Amino acid sequence: MNNLSRRAFVSFALASTSLLAMPAISTGSARPKVVVVGGGAGGATAARYIAKDSKGAIDVTLIEASKQYYTCFYSNLYLGGFREYDSIGHSYDNLSANHGVNVVHDWAISVDSSARKVRLGSGATVSYDRLVLSPGIDIKYDSINGYSVEAQTKMPHAWKSGTQVKVLRDQVLNMPKGGTFAMVPPPNPYRCPPGPYERISMVAHILKERNPTAKIVVVDPKNKFSKQGLFMAGWEKHYPGMVEWIDNDTHGGIKNVNPETMEIETDLDTFKADVACVVPAQRAGAIAMNAGVTDGDWSPIIPASMQTKADSNIYVLGDASVASSMPKSGFSANSQAKVAANHIRGELTGSKVFAAKFSNTCWSLVATNDGIKVGANYKAGEEKIEAVEKFVSKTDEDNAKRKKTYEESIGWYNGITTDMFS
Amino acid sequence: MLVFRGLVAEPLLEGADFDYGEYLSGQCLTCHQNSSDEGIPAINGAEALYIAKKLILYKNKELENEVMQLVASALDKDEIASLAIYFNSLEK
Repeated sequence: MNNLSRRAFVSFALASTSLLAMPAISTGSARPKVVVVGGGAGGATAARYIAKDSKGAIDVTLIEASKQYYTCFYSNLYLGGFREYDSIGHSYDNLSANHGVNVVHDWAISVDSSARKVRLGSGATVSYDRLVLSPGIDIKYDSINGYSVEAQTKMPHAWKSGTQVKVLRDQVLNMPKGGTFAMVPPPNPYRCPPGPYERISMVAHILKERNPTAKIVVVDPKNKFSKQGLFMAGWEKHYPGMVEWIDNDTHGGIKNVNPETMEIETDLDTFKADVACVVPAQRAGAIAMNAGVTDGDWSPIIPASMQTKADSNIYVLGDASVASSMPKSGFSANSQAKVAANHIRGELTGSKVFAAKFSNTCWSLVATNDGIKVGANYKAGEEKIEAVEKFVSKTDEDNAKRKKTYEESIGWYNGITTDMFS
Repeated sequence: MLVFRGLVAEPLLEGADFDYGEYLSGQCLTCHQNSSDEGIPAINGAEALYIAKKLILYKNKELENEVMQLVASALDKDEIASLAIYFNSLEK
């Protein structure tokens, strides 16, 4: 810790013992404090790396409401019947036991950035020297006419893993014979760019086996999408005639959805569905908005460190950040967390700060043993995170190669969840 | 540390920096863990020279795998050496 931040920390520590009206969570140590909000791919990784690599020199608190975390990545594979629900659930026990992370299961309600305090749902406050916000996304329910919090049981977005994906799977399994599954993907930018199209593949996989005369209609607010050629070739190969994708220019825009009649109205036509997955537009999780570190819907960051442009004591990771050219993915968040962790350790303990390097790969499953992937590595530019090199699977790959890509994705799932939770 | 001293006579590992290897390893550990074994090899505790040689083969595109070619393409010789000695130090 440099002299300035030590002084600031000591003066705040003194203030917190005498002046605060609400109880303050304290470990009683004089170590510099990092508070991490959100225990997903960004937050869990950041908490683990800061605690692990500082070898106890930094006091790390992780604020996460859920005791059991269900990964968003691979929730589509649960939907398609390739994974058990329990297999995508993870606990935070090892972060405390192995690395001394103080895990607090509560909601972070507000941030007082001048006093460097986070207020929790319980009313307690937690003080910080550096704050890491990795809250993921909030759904903009009002971005689609007719959609609402209440509508999500009839037309689940299922875009935050957990119980909504279970609801959606039950609905698909119980769909009437020859019925219609409708999907409304979100507009850009959103969490997991290939996700809606992997979801369509997984629903098609179920329907092909159980309900082969059923149809899937995709009413997209976009005119193109991630890995489009690969997905469309895969749908034609594995599910011929089942999937109809309608781009925005063709349907002219989504005017309204009606969860009572299960209708999706566009300029072109009104589509009636038996089961519908409607994923609205998204924005940074509420705590990032509250902390005053967003500009519009997302939080701009300094690429070299992941510090927010608004407050150098606050870092934002993953989906909530403007990290383009990186996509909003779990892999990206995990990669950004390591850059931030290295920077925070340097600021608070004087350890060496190395140049930011980022990477991402997104694997998707199209059908049994048919895996595809897209990836890139990145460096910190002045204004944005810049892609250095990229790759994407090819449409003419043989079955063995596709099977290997799927197996690689299983290795990645095991790897990243170990990297987050062990 | 003695182990590294024994190995730095090897030209491929000359520029190794353990702390830098620890930082760079973050990029690898997203996928390579002892738990990943199937689909992605576990490399913790592997021989440093083995890791360095593999990374050079990926960098030269003499081994196939898009992700590994991409990772290795962004690494220079010293970074490869740093990663090699760091992974060698991890428990299998």
